[in-house]
Amino acid sequence: MTPQLALQSEIFRSYAIIVLGVLVVGGLVLTLRKWGLRKDVHSLWLTYRSWLVMAPLILVCVFGGRVVVIVFICLLGGFGFKEFARATGLYGDWWMTGAVYLGIVAVGVTSLISQPQGEEPRHGWYGLFIALPVYVVALILLIPILRNKVQGQLQCMSLAIVGFIYIGWMFGHLAFLANATNAYGYLLYLLFATEINDVAAFTCGKLFGKRQFRSNISPKKTWGGAVGALAISMTLPWLLRFSFPFFGTLQLIFTGLIVGIGGQLGDLSISVIKRDIGIKDMGAGIPGHGGILDRIDSLIYVAPLFFHMAGYFYDLR
Amino acid sequence: MFSQPKLYMTWQYEPAPDLDQPLAERLRRFPREPDLTIYGLRSLAALLMRGWLRLYHRLEIVGRENLPAEGSFVIVANHTSHLDTLCLLSALPLRKLHRAFPAAAQDYFFVSVPRLAIAAVVVNALPFGRQKHIRQSLELCRQLLANPGNVLILFPEGTRTATGRLGEFKPGIGLLVAGTQLPVVPCHLSGGFEAWPKGKWIARPRKLVLRIGQSRNYPSLTPGKEAAEHVCADLQKAVAGLDQVR
Repeated sequence: MTPQLALQSEIFRSYAIIVLGVLVVGGLVLTLRKWGLRKDVHSLWLTYRSWLVMAPLILVCVFGGRVVVIVFICLLGGFGFKEFARATGLYGDWWMTGAVYLGIVAVGVTSLISQPQGEEPRHGWYGLFIALPVYVVALILLIPILRNKVQGQLQCMSLAIVGFIYIGWMFGHLAFLANATNAYGYLLYLLFATEINDVAAFTCGKLFGKRQFRSNISPKKTWGGAVGALAISMTLPWLLRFSFPFFGTLQLIFTGLIVGIGGQLGDLSISVIKRDIGIKDMGAGIPGHGGILDRIDSLIYVAPLFFHMAGYFYDLR
Repeated sequence: MFSQPKLYMTWQYEPAPDLDQPLAERLRRFPREPDLTIYGLRSLAALLMRGWLRLYHRLEIVGRENLPAEGSFVIVANHTSHLDTLCLLSALPLRKLHRAFPAAAQDYFFVSVPRLAIAAVVVNALPFGRQKHIRQSLELCRQLLANPGNVLILFPEGTRTATGRLGEFKPGIGLLVAGTQLPVVPCHLSGGFEAWPKGKWIARPRKLVLRIGQSRNYPSLTPGKEAAEHVCADLQKAVAGLDQVR
């Protein structure tokens, strides 16, 4: 992944056009609703305006190449973890917070460097990347011992471990994906399809949502929205087949299921955390979306599942 | 016979109180919640600032040993330009950076977002109401100083000098320290007015000298208007006196 390769890549250019097209269509729909149907679109407009910034930013990062993508994903993971830590109160414990940050830096470093004994460069250190939870959990368990502290430590350790494994490492798979030969196809498909899945769940829920999906977790989500999003996510792998021309039918079905089901599970899993804490959003960083975690929640769940599916069938290199 | 097994335990979460506020609001509130990103940016800015002051303004600091090593204290100084705050912050050791709070005019620094960013992130300012809410602002200062290890930086003139001469001290500082053990350190910066007078956009490369006087406190006074006036007069004399030491 380099800027030159991005310009030559059919996949990158196609996605740039598709994203631009979706943004324009979205803008037209909003305009029509506001001026044509005289509906109140204030909150939708806020959400859309944030997309106008986020979508080009992501494209620029992917255009920038492997290093830029890895750094960007790790920064997102770091700031996402910060929201989690501030929401749970873990942020007050700077030892634990520091250990998780160290782990997130390690995610970036193992994605960047190559294995010392040999192979070609620019492939990331896969073995260490996958083994990172072992070392980071070991470090987190070490902290109370070093500080000779007991009270409340189980809670701190558990929160730190969830914070690292879920937000730092699982989301970090997206960074490691930048090392794949088909990095453009994988990354752009994942980012695009997951966000489309989110938008589809929201839109289908508005259109045909009646029965609540998980009433205790997220009262606004409906069966209609969930099924509609899954249906759209199942067709996307075929529509965007140019992203991975070597995928067979089985892999396309897996891709659709992972994004369609995983995306909504990711959304719900962050909702479980928010509901238990008793807050509405994880932060207020992105107007109209909430915090960073509220935006990347689906990706956190989808990215590692897709990564290992693709890695199982086709060696990621 | 058997008690019902408890299936889950309840944890105590402590969400940050500013969790649902956008960044500008989080910077505007005081005390601000701890934030590693802001600490990092502030430390970086402090290093750059120290280098800049030393190279461009040839900043000289006299009497650094007069700063108390432990406990909270107040620094009062003349206010000739925006450089004053930066020089005083540079005189403090780096480890006190996030515990030093220059009182900054709420109506000037905490309104527009660019100024807010500088005041809250770089300078770590305490919003001080000059016209309204003076009592609340003084109470905020009092709470700040009740915690050990905090440094409050005050410009008792209340505004930057228009003439270059030391102005009248406002009674706030007197109300704050009369009848307490709090050490007050008088400081004087010379060269600031020539370098960056009010209304100019950029600072000129004039030499700056910061003189730090001996700390004093006023435990024997009974708090009140008269004591405040006495403290103000004493501190003003001390600051002016530092100017004459050449």
